[in-house]
Amino acid sequence: MNALPNPNLLTRLLALAGTLSRVAVWVGGALTLASVLLIAYDVIVRRVFGITVGGADELSSYAFAISTSWALAFTALDRANVRVDVLYQHLPVRLGALLDWIALVALGVFSVYLTYHAYDVAMTSWTENAAANTPLATPLWVPQSLWVLGLAWFSVVLALLLIRASVALVTGDIDALKAVCGVKSAQEEAEEEAAAGIRMVKGESA
Amino acid sequence: MIAVSLILLLVLIGLSIPVAAALGVLGLILDPLYSMLPLTRAMGEMAWSSSNEFLLVAIPLFIMLGEILLRAGFAERMYGAMSLWLSWLPGGLMHANIGASTLFSATSGSSVATAATVGTVALPQIKRFGYNEPLFLGSIAAGGTLGILIPPSINLVIYGVLTNSSVPKLYLAGIIPGFLMAALFMAVIVVACIARPHWGGQRVHAHWGERFASLVHLLPPLGIFLLVVGSIYAGIATPTEAAALGVVGALVLAAVFGRLTLAMLREVAESSMRATAMIMIIVIAAAFLNFIMSAIGLTDTLTNSITGLGLSPMWMLLAVVVFYVILGCFMETLSMMITTIPIVAPIMTALGFDPIWLGIVIIVLVETALITPPVGLNLFVVQSLRKSGSMQAVITGSLPFVAALFMMLALLAAFPGLALWLPSVFG
Repeated sequence: MNALPNPNLLTRLLALAGTLSRVAVWVGGALTLASVLLIAYDVIVRRVFGITVGGADELSSYAFAISTSWALAFTALDRANVRVDVLYQHLPVRLGALLDWIALVALGVFSVYLTYHAYDVAMTSWTENAAANTPLATPLWVPQSLWVLGLAWFSVVLALLLIRASVALVTGDIDALKAVCGVKSAQEEAEEEAAAGIRMVKGESA
Repeated sequence: MIAVSLILLLVLIGLSIPVAAALGVLGLILDPLYSMLPLTRAMGEMAWSSSNEFLLVAIPLFIMLGEILLRAGFAERMYGAMSLWLSWLPGGLMHANIGASTLFSATSGSSVATAATVGTVALPQIKRFGYNEPLFLGSIAAGGTLGILIPPSINLVIYGVLTNSSVPKLYLAGIIPGFLMAALFMAVIVVACIARPHWGGQRVHAHWGERFASLVHLLPPLGIFLLVVGSIYAGIATPTEAAALGVVGALVLAAVFGRLTLAMLREVAESSMRATAMIMIIVIAAAFLNFIMSAIGLTDTLTNSITGLGLSPMWMLLAVVVFYVILGCFMETLSMMITTIPIVAPIMTALGFDPIWLGIVIIVLVETALITPPVGLNLFVVQSLRKSGSMQAVITGSLPFVAALFMMLALLAAFPGLALWLPSVFG
């Protein structure tokens, strides 16, 4: 058993990844809010004063790409990726656990390909010194590399999850496996939504 | 080629592989199988161009708008006002459920959030006024589905991007069917409560003075609706820009109600970023798969073989309805839309259906999927809010509303003008 990575270390690493991903999501949220203010300012100035600032659409598109790619890890850790569980829910627990593991592998494969080819795009922009065809003429490698880093982080987190899930699979720790990558049932998902609904209506300030 | 791809897709999805990964991996398999050129290289470009598409920026903004409004703290007062205006009808507060959902839909692009919010406020009233529980629960689940039909709607933005149709036109097209749908839901309640008067509970009586005084509580959501939808049709803003204006308005409202805190913003960031990432990874994977499919000629083969069946347009429409009703039983609705529309929409447009009209039809089908078992998410949301009783009650109570949705589909098929009249007037 010594050959297997230490689950405690892994758990700590995953917790760290969780914290980092959460912070990334907050930053993404802040970027999105910044886009909101920039776009709103752009619209108001354009309509009221007839001045075209421009660039708001371009910059907010970059913010969108970057904040989305950095939020992917958070969705993976939260098991928020959409899965169809029509067969899954009728399978014996062990077989279901195997499917959870396969699902993680498939997501990992897709994410690694995606990251690799996205890296290619950013590298091409860098070597060719490509600039956006806009008044800002943004050097494309800048937003693209930030975007690729988010995808890379997604792959790293998936790799960590996969190691943790593999350890759980080999040691037969089905509960741990479910906690890492089990399907969130419609039931579970709806409970979260409902809890959020109650929290919102009752309000923090009430 | 069709058979192999379809079997692969079904196996991947059936293995409960995440939808995004299933689509992406299918693309990765089909490329070396059927193509001379390494098409997968285009994956990076595809991903980048869908990731920084300005129209899609509307998705996180509309999600954020809804998330802020949900936390802005006017839901209870809005529901109260609706009940004063509508609860004299047979069925009492059930009409307030539909009314509040309708108004909430006009500010939020999400059905699940609408059901969760209205449900939280409404559920305690069942026992208090002695309503028929299943029907009351059904009215909440069904009312929630209006969230994606009445603009702003996230699903319509996605449809617009996938089919290259104008989102402002789609929003205009959704207005009449949206309000008609609400009216049909209310008609279902009235008919049920006239047939079975004891289902309707005690009536709540209100004075005109109270009613008019309560109107002020409807102003916040109406204001946001006018800001967002109005700015699009006044030609001031594109859908994405309108969404940004809406978010600013929502922030102001939250501040006025004393709910604008850092903790609240963090929660908003988490839920809107999570939802956006979840949607976008499917959008990226689907864009990649569609590219592969058309490059290897699969899209054409598929379209030709379906049109080769020689079905008349109306039969084809019926087939599409059956297809979505069945698929909706197994698949989450947004991923269902993203995966199927790139195939379904071109076939239907080739048969002469208007793409804008088709968008509204598909949204009504998606609404149906939200309240049909086994995975109708709104059913589960309402059930979780109750905390006791069986799921069967929610399902039974939603059935009459499913009938209303089918009636809406029939109306749309018979009178396409319901969806197309407003876009033609303002378009």
